Amino acid sequence: MVAIIKTEKLTKSYGSHRGIVEVDLAVEQGEVFGFLGPNGAGKTTTIRVLLDLIRPTSGKAFVFGIETTADPVSIHRRVGYLPGEFTLYDKLTGGETLEYFANLRGGLDRAYQASLIERFDLDPSRKFKEYSKGNKQKVGLVAALQHKPELLILDEPTAGLDPLVQQTFFAVLRESVADGHTVFLSSHVLSEAEKACDRVGIIREGRIVMVDRVDALRDLAAHQVELRFTGPVPAAEFERIPGVSNVTAEDHVLRMHVTGPIDPVVKVAARFELADFVSREPSLEETFLAQYGQTAVEVANHGH
Amino acid sequence: MATEAGRAPLAAPYRISLRSRFYGLGSIYAKTMRDSRLAFIVAAGLMGGIMLVVSVAITKAYPTAESRVELASLATSLGAASGIAGKAVNVGTMGGYVQWKYGSFFLLIAAIWSIMALSGTLASEARGGSLEFVAASPFGKRRIALEKVTAHLTAMTLTVVIVGFAAWLAGAAFATLPGDAIPVQAAVGYALWLGLVALFFGGLAFALAQFFGRAVGAGVAGFALFAGWILQGYAATVPAFTPFALLTPCAWTADHLPLAGQYNWPSLVPTAIATAALLAIGVEAFARRDVGAQQAVRTPRLPRPLRGLRGPIGRSIGERLPMTLAWSLGLGIFTLAMAAISKSLADDVAKSPDLLKTFGQIFPSFNITTAGGFLQLMIQLEYIAVGFAAATLVSGWASDETSGRLEMILSTPLARPRWAILSGLGVYVAIVVMTAIMAVCVGLGAAAAGSDALTPMAGTIALGLYAAALAGVGFAVGGWKTSIAAEVVALVVVMTYLIDLLSPALSLPDWFHQLALTSHLGQPMVGHWDAGGVVACLVLAAAGLAVGGWGMRRRDVGL
Repeated sequence: MVAIIKTEKLTKSYGSHRGIVEVDLAVEQGEVFGFLGPNGAGKTTTIRVLLDLIRPTSGKAFVFGIETTADPVSIHRRVGYLPGEFTLYDKLTGGETLEYFANLRGGLDRAYQASLIERFDLDPSRKFKEYSKGNKQKVGLVAALQHKPELLILDEPTAGLDPLVQQTFFAVLRESVADGHTVFLSSHVLSEAEKACDRVGIIREGRIVMVDRVDALRDLAAHQVELRFTGPVPAAEFERIPGVSNVTAEDHVLRMHVTGPIDPVVKVAARFELADFVSREPSLEETFLAQYGQTAVEVANHGH
Repeated sequence: MATEAGRAPLAAPYRISLRSRFYGLGSIYAKTMRDSRLAFIVAAGLMGGIMLVVSVAITKAYPTAESRVELASLATSLGAASGIAGKAVNVGTMGGYVQWKYGSFFLLIAAIWSIMALSGTLASEARGGSLEFVAASPFGKRRIALEKVTAHLTAMTLTVVIVGFAAWLAGAAFATLPGDAIPVQAAVGYALWLGLVALFFGGLAFALAQFFGRAVGAGVAGFALFAGWILQGYAATVPAFTPFALLTPCAWTADHLPLAGQYNWPSLVPTAIATAALLAIGVEAFARRDVGAQQAVRTPRLPRPLRGLRGPIGRSIGERLPMTLAWSLGLGIFTLAMAAISKSLADDVAKSPDLLKTFGQIFPSFNITTAGGFLQLMIQLEYIAVGFAAATLVSGWASDETSGRLEMILSTPLARPRWAILSGLGVYVAIVVMTAIMAVCVGLGAAAAGSDALTPMAGTIALGLYAAALAGVGFAVGGWKTSIAAEVVALVVVMTYLIDLLSPALSLPDWFHQLALTSHLGQPMVGHWDAGGVVACLVLAAAGLAVGGWGMRRRDVGL
């Protein structure tokens, strides 16, 4: 596979403030890569280095195989970008703003631009300063998407969008990927990244702590298993199984966390008379929180 | 079941810490004071400093009683030709001289500050989004506006107190001849006049901004300030100006010259009433309108071809055009008026040997017996105005980055130096437009007066060159840091003016005077061009743009 984005020990420091530290990433063609991390972890800094808006203190970043500091214009020609926070020209309408960005790119497919405006339900006749937060975000999204870029770099793309527009956005994203394009998006909404991304990278205090497929990351976190017995709860039988932890018994219900294969738990449970067996896969959110050393959200909190 | 909506339970008493109060975080009033501290320091420091320096200058330039008598007779003989300097009263004293030569200049500084502060105090918070947070706190909109206005009134009061104190101190510390001392009453009278008239124009901007937005409010108030100042100055020469001059406090308070020992306290009353009314209209209008709506009355949009959607140069021109037209209108009217009256004033001077001698002594390098020479003298003031115009245009250029939109612009196939240079060229086009409009106005004025129009029209190019040179300085600074580019340009304008003004008065070395770019621009209104100055302007403009582009290429964006 071709690496569309590649970073090698990418470091950016802002004087005494930490930015990112020795970030190694590789994003392949045609994948949707989710970049996750809490506020201030270094997501936006990484994105801005990729676009050569800021320069690395050390290390290198390549986009389309081109070093970002060497020829950023060639990179930008093939990229669509939505910043996490942006302002545009207050006095221009949304339509004029999109026209200006189209002109900066030397023109584009007007029909596709019009279809995006229609799908995002954007009124292009209003001045930018009169738009709501969500509508400003729509203008930014259309500006990023309208030239059908080979690589989309989106910083918190769904911020401010209503659920219907979010659905539209993910549909457009899928179409873009189906055309062989690549998406690099940062998000705080983990369920969203879980739904949209092939792989995710988690950044913590400027350092990449994990990069893997969403499925594989889920496997790292404990399954939450709940067994309801018709008779007494054989807690000791389960505590002995490797990978089982946090075993608690309450009346006829036994709860436990299971890391790794669940087969041994199923085999032990089969020896007893069961009224119910519930095993819930960890969400990306739980995986994410686990990576940050915090308590994963309990099953009951999700109304399972 | 009936539900009673009672008072919310009282929270535990909350005391605002001393630290919060000290850092201006204790109230809307305190926060506004905190936000205006830099402007206050600059305004108070500039005016207080100038007051002391010019007071010292007169004692050095005119150290003897005889020289003062001569100065007074010269100033008095100017009569109506004194123009914007106002009436010459007791010019032989330190206070009278400062009042005559610099009294209106202080007003311009204070009033421009008040216009900018009061037109922007609510609009800038609305634009930044912080106004919604403030409005959602347990304060009514009327109180928010009142606290903000009160904060500006406090800052203005402190400023004029400092100016008044500086005047009194100058009299007490530097007086060399009888009559030089400036009594407390005179200092108070001047400070009161300065504050009230400045706040009148600030209040006008504040009231209009609630209906038409910040730009229109500030533009109209600024225009009223300059128009009132000029029309009152030349009302005696051009009687047609009188009805218009009477619309502003410049005319109402024309006889109140406290530093010169002439008081007209009742003239301050209508100014105070009008100022209070304008501020009240602004507060009430804000209280009644929607939060976040920056203007209640829509202003017309530019025609589509002028909005600049084709590329960075066009966009830069399109963004700058409203500001350019506003400056062009104000400066154009000034040049038109100056050109229109310059011939009659020059003829008056030429007919009077005494007047000719007077001007010859005060302005030895100007031949004011010709319309062009007189116009050149008047146009010297316009260098300050075009300098500030350049600063505002540079501020607009920098706003691509300071507002955050440069990030999206540079994610397109547009290299950083290319953006800096192309959008900078847009600023130069705006300066060309401004210069062309001024040239047309000066040509119309000169033609109306029956004097040579082409020479002063060509001479206007010097103003454009000066503005372009300053913009070049701004671009060069912007290549390092856009957020301070406009401030540096404004500082250069003020420093240039002060060097040009004070070097002769303080008998400073010639090389020091030569640091002012305006001292190298010759007298283009009479066709005398200084090639060195022209080249210096062009080099500054071109090199500044190149340095700006080079700087942008090297540094991080948006930091």
